[in-house]
Amino acid sequence: MNAPTPALVARPERLRLVGQRRQILAVMHQRLMFGMLVYAGIIAIIALRLVYLAAFGDHAGRKGGALDLTPERGDIVDRDGQALARTIDAWTIGLQPAKVIGNKLDLARKLAELMPEKDEAAYLQMLRSGRNFYYLRRRAPPGLVAAINSLGEPGLALEREPDRLYPQTSLAAHVIGYTDIDGKGNAGIERAFDQQLLDPERRGEPITLSISSKVQQALEHELGGAMSHFSAIGAAGVIMDIHTGEVLAMTSLPQLNPNAAGQGTPEARFNRATLGVYELGSTFKPFTVAMAMDAGIVKSMGQMYSCPRQLHVAGRTINDTHPYGRACSVAEIMKESSNIGTAQIADQLGAKRQREFLKQMGFLDKVEVELLERGRTLSPGANWNQIETMTVGYGHGIAVTPLHLASGYATLFNGGIYRPATLLKVDRNHPAGKGRRVFSEDTSYKMRSLLRLVVTDGTGKKADAPGYRVGGKTGTAEKYHNRSLKVTSFAGVFPMDEPRFVMVMMLDEPKATAETFGFSTAGWNIAPAFGRTVARIAPMLGVRPDKRREPNMAEVLPYVQKEKGH
Amino acid sequence: MSARGFAPVFWAGTVAAAALGFYLVSLRVASERAALEDVETEIAMAQRDIRLLQTEIGTRGRLAQLERWNVRFIRLSAPTADQFVEGGFQLATLVKPEAKPAIAAPVILASAPVEQDAPQSKLTGEAPTSAPASRSVSEMVHVASYSVPDKTPAVTQRLAIKPGAPVAKPAAGASRPPKALAATKSVKTATADPLAPLQTAKPKAKGSSPKAASGAGSPKAKPKDSVTD
Repeated sequence: MNAPTPALVARPERLRLVGQRRQILAVMHQRLMFGMLVYAGIIAIIALRLVYLAAFGDHAGRKGGALDLTPERGDIVDRDGQALARTIDAWTIGLQPAKVIGNKLDLARKLAELMPEKDEAAYLQMLRSGRNFYYLRRRAPPGLVAAINSLGEPGLALEREPDRLYPQTSLAAHVIGYTDIDGKGNAGIERAFDQQLLDPERRGEPITLSISSKVQQALEHELGGAMSHFSAIGAAGVIMDIHTGEVLAMTSLPQLNPNAAGQGTPEARFNRATLGVYELGSTFKPFTVAMAMDAGIVKSMGQMYSCPRQLHVAGRTINDTHPYGRACSVAEIMKESSNIGTAQIADQLGAKRQREFLKQMGFLDKVEVELLERGRTLSPGANWNQIETMTVGYGHGIAVTPLHLASGYATLFNGGIYRPATLLKVDRNHPAGKGRRVFSEDTSYKMRSLLRLVVTDGTGKKADAPGYRVGGKTGTAEKYHNRSLKVTSFAGVFPMDEPRFVMVMMLDEPKATAETFGFSTAGWNIAPAFGRTVARIAPMLGVRPDKRREPNMAEVLPYVQKEKGH
Repeated sequence: MSARGFAPVFWAGTVAAAALGFYLVSLRVASERAALEDVETEIAMAQRDIRLLQTEIGTRGRLAQLERWNVRFIRLSAPTADQFVEGGFQLATLVKPEAKPAIAAPVILASAPVEQDAPQSKLTGEAPTSAPASRSVSEMVHVASYSVPDKTPAVTQRLAIKPGAPVAKPAAGASRPPKALAATKSVKTATADPLAPLQTAKPKAKGSSPKAASGAGSPKAKPKDSVTD
């Protein structure tokens, strides 16, 4: 470039007089100027850009992205902030056969040593195949990753990928649910709040559940103990705050480890507390009495009914496990869990009003809770006649979930207001569900002493936890397909003088043992577990034991006749 | 002229210096910002580590694991209703020291004369001279005289309560001249006098305390002394 320029510049002196050459020179100048401007412009742009970068730009060492701490999927924590589900970076070991440079036979042998789930031949086949990528192990332990890394084979890829971890393993597994390998919610809260957990805007904030880990652990332990002791095939338990509808603990046994949900049996993945519906038997009786009191049929706990040894209605016979064979009061009907007495009360109430009350309590619909695994309840439906009314009165012929039952007891004892159950902590961000009145406050108050009577004098004596004023009702129902198989349950409230918490525990097909004298009714198997659980969780929930406090037992005690045997 | 000629140079220099100054400021700001970002990154990394470690400790110390340890080794169970106390006052009653039986007065009295064996003989010499003090001292002398033959103080203490008096009489008589014998009588009267001065024979060394003997006993002792003398 530079060489011809002096020649061009020198020439005009000599060729001044030649018009043609002058013309060429002018064009040359023009072109030169143009070129210079272009260069100057480029340099100016670069210089301006440099100045701009120096003044406002980022420096070279900036680490973008490292500051981003929001997890790939939102956390789930319990009401005290204890992590129940978290996303962590896990190691993944992959194999890229095309990039392998070493001896494939040696590599296959070493891999078989380190990861014995496949044998040497299988690894060799993978190495010789033409595929691009194999997953050898997802969520590999650090020791294995170090060992794989020390092989120094470029064909082995070590990568980090987000992985869902449940630190408390099986605790509240059916509430939290689990995700599949790609991080998509498959059950429980993980499924119900999948969108929120994945949303980049909202996943930084954890989802705070109403579950309390400590209470949950106590419930799971005691229920698991009862289940194995009585050789039951399953169990379920629910603890709720009766005023807000918050579920403090909810479990379904057998347990499931959500860290390896795929290894669990379908039985373990099944949520008995919200998806399973059961005939829960006598635990329904308090509802029948409360409905009758609200409807003005039962005016006092001393109202008398004839309680024969058997009651024949519409070609069917209703029996009692503890027949009176005399006139008995409402208090006595409840105390000894008389089907015959309750059936008469239900008959007086009538199918229409009974159905209306059950509808109000949400017993005819799927349970209202955030989970998507909710079972459809079973009821007589269109065929709701006299005998159906009577059997529903004592809890047969209607099948609901344990959570329904807990929600119903909460309604009965919080002053008569139904509130949907919730698994999210009730606070500023999440107010309690809108309530609707089902029972009058007076009915709610009178039911306290009635249920306390069942525990102090009746079928639920073993459920008592001294000082915690437990009130509740036992329930034993026979399974439809085999009458010797039972579902036993206990629904209770404590402290009964000022109800705060409701707990429902259920055993599926418990067997009799030597110390129950061959009985497999609720009073013998689930009631003691209930008492133990209350004694354990009540101090955690801030309930002070006090042996001198009781609900107003004067409502019921005058109407209970002392029996000879007692 | 020269200054005017150099004006553009000065201007150019000033502008260059200013530009350089601005650039240096900007550079300094950028480096500060970089340092800040490094710190922020460090904080973020630390937070990530905290989260990781919390997850790990939460997993290792999960409630099911703690429960398993508890069932196998620690064996703690839920407190019963009786283990709750109403407040500090009720708590204090639980640590109340055990009530020890109050030491009866005669025991103290019995132990005293053993030590005062030697001086008593001297005091007895003084006793007849001063009227009120001497009597109280003389009473003590006679108590001491019981213990001397018995040798072991513990036995004498017990003996002094019941059979002490009858045993003491011959012992005193043997060891001491009539003075002592007279004094034993005075002891009886002294112990008995708070109750009834006339019934001297029946209660023996029963309720005799040092105070009663010395303080309260002395004014009332006068009439009895006169009787015994």
